[in-house]
Amino acid sequence: MNSAESQAGLEAVLKDEILRMYQEVADNPEADFHFHHGREAAELFGYDPTWLDEAPAGAVASFAGVGNPLERADLKPGETVLDLGSGAGLDAILAARRVGPSGRVIGVDLNPAMCLKAQAHAAATGVGMECHEGRMEEIPLPDDSVDCVLSNGVINLSFRKRRVMEEMYRVLRPGGRISITDIVSARQLSQSIVNDPRLWAS
Amino acid sequence: MFELLEDAGFARVRSAVVPGFRFKKKATQNSAEAFGVKAVMLTATKPAAV
Repeated sequence: MNSAESQAGLEAVLKDEILRMYQEVADNPEADFHFHHGREAAELFGYDPTWLDEAPAGAVASFAGVGNPLERADLKPGETVLDLGSGAGLDAILAARRVGPSGRVIGVDLNPAMCLKAQAHAAATGVGMECHEGRMEEIPLPDDSVDCVLSNGVINLSFRKRRVMEEMYRVLRPGGRISITDIVSARQLSQSIVNDPRLWAS
Repeated sequence: MFELLEDAGFARVRSAVVPGFRFKKKATQNSAEAFGVKAVMLTATKPAAV
């Protein structure tokens, strides 16, 4: 097996592990995870408690971000926003409130079940949100179609981060922007971590 | 990620550490600190067309 085949195999395993882990957060938000999640995490990262009170309980409980990408997004009414790795939809719903009915919020998530859940949460809140199943390495949107890309704790999960950056650039309109929060490591992770999908996905 | 954003063509790339981020479990947090793992906020702009 050459290195490309090896990486493709590892990516496939990783995809399954990511789906499993974040589905578990969505299905069993009361379970014990090694990362903060739900309302506890959102408040830790400075989400306005009033926003959280107004958001669907399921979207708040399943929140698994690592920061607050809305804080510096400066969203304006009428803008088109992409939430890359939208999960249960909390950031997308909060973004939809900011861009208003003249705006558009598009989620992209690896897990089609999460897309359905996010759209249901958005509908329950009375805001519009569409969600597409897809990978961040091949964003299912046309060139120059988005004003702002949000993402919260998912790009670190990709083996092909350079490709993800290129895709965000491609879908943004000239003058568009990103506001993302994510995990970075100052040191190269050991090969044992890189080769272990459970550790990588976490 | 900062360099990858610049390589992709983004301008005005800015980063800041997310205050308050930590792992819930002590052992995970200790391992994260050993590797210099932290949460960051990144903003950047796609240059406007000339």
